[in-house]
Amino acid sequence: MTLKTPEKSTRRYGKAEGTDYQSPEVWSKVTGKAVYGIDHAMPGMLHGKILRSPYPHARIKKVDTTAAEALPGVRAVLTGTELESKPFGIAVEDELPLAVDKVRYIGDEVAAVAAVDLQTAERAIKAIKVEYEELPAVYDPAEALQEGAPQLHDNFPGNVAWERELERGSSSAAFAGADVVVEESFTIPAIHPAYLEPISCIAVDDPYTGITLHTALQSPDAVRKIVAGALNYPLSKVHVNGPVMGGGFGGRVYGNLKVYILSAMLAIKSGRPVKIQLTREEEFTAGRPMIAAAIKMKMAVKSDGTILGREADIITDNGAYSGQAPWVSKTLSERNDSVYRIPGIKTRVRLAYTNKIPTGQYRAYGNQVANFATESLIDMAAKKLGLDPLEMRLKNCVREGDITVHGLQVGKCGLSECLQAAAREIGWDHKKAGHGYGLSVAIHANGSLVFDKNFRGASALARLELDGRITLFTGEQDYGQGTHGAFAQIAAKALDVRPAQITVESKETKTAPFSTGALAMRQTTVGGKAIQLAAEDLREKIFKAAAELTGEPVTMKNSVLNTMSGRTLELGEIAYHYHNNTSGLNLTGEGKFVPEESDYDESGYGNISVAYSFAAHAVELELDKTTGAITVNRLVAAHDSGRIVNHLTARGQVYGGVAQGIGMSCFEGCLFDEGRMANATLADYKIPTALDLPEIDPLFIEIEDPVGPYGSKGLGEIVMVPVIGAVANAAADAAGVRITDLPLTAEKIYQAMAGWECEQ
Amino acid sequence: MSYLIASSLDEVLTSLRDGSGKARVVAGGTDLYLQDLPYGLVDLSCLKGTTVIEQEDDLISLGSAVTHTAAASSPLVLSRARALAEGCEVIGSPQIRNIGTIGGNVVNAAPAADAAVALVGLGAEAVIIDIEGNIRQEAVENLYWEYNRSLIDSTREVMISLQFKPCMDGEGSAFTRFAARRALALPMVNAAARVKLENGLVKEIRLVAAPVNPAPTRLVKTEELVIGKPVNDQTISMVERSAAEEVEVRGSLLRCSARYRLHLVGVLVSRALKTAAERAMGQGKAGE
Repeated sequence: MTLKTPEKSTRRYGKAEGTDYQSPEVWSKVTGKAVYGIDHAMPGMLHGKILRSPYPHARIKKVDTTAAEALPGVRAVLTGTELESKPFGIAVEDELPLAVDKVRYIGDEVAAVAAVDLQTAERAIKAIKVEYEELPAVYDPAEALQEGAPQLHDNFPGNVAWERELERGSSSAAFAGADVVVEESFTIPAIHPAYLEPISCIAVDDPYTGITLHTALQSPDAVRKIVAGALNYPLSKVHVNGPVMGGGFGGRVYGNLKVYILSAMLAIKSGRPVKIQLTREEEFTAGRPMIAAAIKMKMAVKSDGTILGREADIITDNGAYSGQAPWVSKTLSERNDSVYRIPGIKTRVRLAYTNKIPTGQYRAYGNQVANFATESLIDMAAKKLGLDPLEMRLKNCVREGDITVHGLQVGKCGLSECLQAAAREIGWDHKKAGHGYGLSVAIHANGSLVFDKNFRGASALARLELDGRITLFTGEQDYGQGTHGAFAQIAAKALDVRPAQITVESKETKTAPFSTGALAMRQTTVGGKAIQLAAEDLREKIFKAAAELTGEPVTMKNSVLNTMSGRTLELGEIAYHYHNNTSGLNLTGEGKFVPEESDYDESGYGNISVAYSFAAHAVELELDKTTGAITVNRLVAAHDSGRIVNHLTARGQVYGGVAQGIGMSCFEGCLFDEGRMANATLADYKIPTALDLPEIDPLFIEIEDPVGPYGSKGLGEIVMVPVIGAVANAAADAAGVRITDLPLTAEKIYQAMAGWECEQ
Repeated sequence: MSYLIASSLDEVLTSLRDGSGKARVVAGGTDLYLQDLPYGLVDLSCLKGTTVIEQEDDLISLGSAVTHTAAASSPLVLSRARALAEGCEVIGSPQIRNIGTIGGNVVNAAPAADAAVALVGLGAEAVIIDIEGNIRQEAVENLYWEYNRSLIDSTREVMISLQFKPCMDGEGSAFTRFAARRALALPMVNAAARVKLENGLVKEIRLVAAPVNPAPTRLVKTEELVIGKPVNDQTISMVERSAAEEVEVRGSLLRCSARYRLHLVGVLVSRALKTAAERAMGQGKAGE
């Protein structure tokens, strides 16, 4: 991967201005000063450990904790039966903090202990005796849906966690009138976000303030609500105080709820702070990977390449508990339909319980999973019709003003420009002989208007400090994406001050405004808009206070106020003036971004977001025909994310998202052997190393958006989406055969080329 | 627990004797944390001589505590034992190569350790001394007891050095490997070849593949087929077929199927031979 030196950056923190502004926040990380969750400790802190089920499916007959409780140093032991908790959950309430009657996967939480040190806690866990009665288990989601399969939950008969059947337009007419139909089955394994820092949490129970969770989360407000419910605490008595996060990628939107709830329960029982930190193995075997999917999809196409319709039958693998899987399954099953003009679609999607690891989400929420299927079919259709895959995409891709098959209202849209730019840059018209080339496109929403129809936006506060600096209060978390630097830039632009004068505070839910969270690619567009509005409000208040002080109208430039008569004022002077006149208040701007209600109906038809981002990726790779190994040489990532606030961090997002996309395309996936994850270490769960990545070239098609702050739109999640389809298409172009089962390993490609029957 | 950084071989042997089976030798220590820590550790890496790479008479000798980085960048190894340089430069990560040692790579006894496979390809022998002062010399491929278990007992034996004949005019060596990713991945297959040509025909040859058995495995039948033949496309194809026929391999969920691994044995062994022969004919890079 070539990391090009940004032209404008001066490489000194806080100095580079404009769209290459380098937020001072990064310096606490690169100098090793940032304190991550795993670094945290507290006086009197105990160490918590969780006893997990060794069986995929078993009835708990007896739990004996006598020996564990008798161990010196053990301060609290918890079992499911003593808790009397009600079920909790994210999309579906199907989990208990600790299993009561049954365990449903290898890793299911059975008991928890807190002890004076980790070794004692580990010894105590081993001293707990559990009698199990093994039950038949089911691992394959299609088998789980069949009659007679072992049942996981009494209240979810047939192991159906969620299902949906949907038809829009006339799909049957589309297929009746098609010149060509392409059809294929695709399988995608569960993918773990593999953030570098394992999840950890220190829970503190204080009689006055309540429970405080010291843990880094993308959605602290969402998590504290669930934890308050599980603990039966008032919401205002549960707080989150976030240390620096060692990677999230969607995996820490809700993180690991069991860890937060159990550390809180142990803290309450022991009266001491309790830290639970997952091991890497626990991250893999009891974490929350993105759902695996089996997608059967077909597409009806006219001879000129016009898409007429598409049908899909999708089974997603929930694992033992639901997490966010119903929502991920929904996005997976429909978002790709909106990147093209498709008149009719028909979809059946079923989410099945299996005796495997419960699932969560990962950057792009399943959109990238279906991209593999949709974009493969586009190339298959183009091949069958003798059309150029680029032309076929240009012919069908959505454009400004379109209303898509699911009712998404496409505003500013540079998708066709992205396609042309990516194709031009990769050398689509003068391909190197013997190399494989592939394209793929994506649409992704910027926040959701329909996740909670009553709560669609974001708010922020901008406070003028007495020294003339400005503090922004937001609930939007920055865990490396560069959000806070971008917020400083947005506010700086609204106020006409330097971004380095601005500090962003978001870590404590006690003081930060409420936020839906760092998810759904909503932060720059929705959170940033609130920041812009707060800064504009503060600017007006500063003008008003300055006019009161000087008795004449003022203007502001480069942080300095000028009156008509030529007097200059520093921001600090205004701050003190207001402070003295109000006996201690600070000038504070309020930003409230409240998007209009959506026309979203019961069937899920309607506009779901204030803006949509678009992308087209182009891949060039080489294939070693004697082994089947592919080397992705280059990936051009063309993105319409509106006006880019910060090119430095935007390029960083593209490098990281593409790296994860390459990982999912070529390397990653949870492997299971009778319900046990077989590759539960970073040695065996292979994420790409720097040597495995191509040269990555980000291209930004900067079309100003009317909604986002200063014309900007989101970029974080969409980067990962087109990678999978583009790599798969390039690999098929080079190999002459198509692999429909991720990841695209050398062995699978070689087997397909050699015509071997599938083994293993 | 004790950790001794020994300053002489005597000190090593004395410490092992005093440890009565509870103390063992450590060199780079990269895999130490993966095992149960022993009572005592005796560190070889600061001993005089154990980090030396030298040629004396007709033998190249590498101290057992020579790091992978040192071996991979040694002009002597690069010019006279290229297979070893190639094997050492792909082990683990830069940090691991900076402290991991070639002796440890052999004694750790992983079935497809890259340096060990290259050493067997070169025909290396290990010089071993025990706590009673007995010195013996053993071919590297004969040092394996079972998977991940060496015949060298680190509580009473110390590997001092590894020795092999340098590749002189008309000789060449090469190492190949295939893994799921380009770094930090165990190989699905690795292979090494050493060949001596006379009048364009193969005079001597060693072909090695792993993981086939607990030890890096010589493909003797295939070697015999090649003796007396030129290394041309026909021979390379024959080696590819024969190598895959000569061995039996296992498949695994984590790496690959047995059938694919067998295919890779053929591909990698024939590639190693082709490169080694090119080097023997002076068609490789300068100095080989």
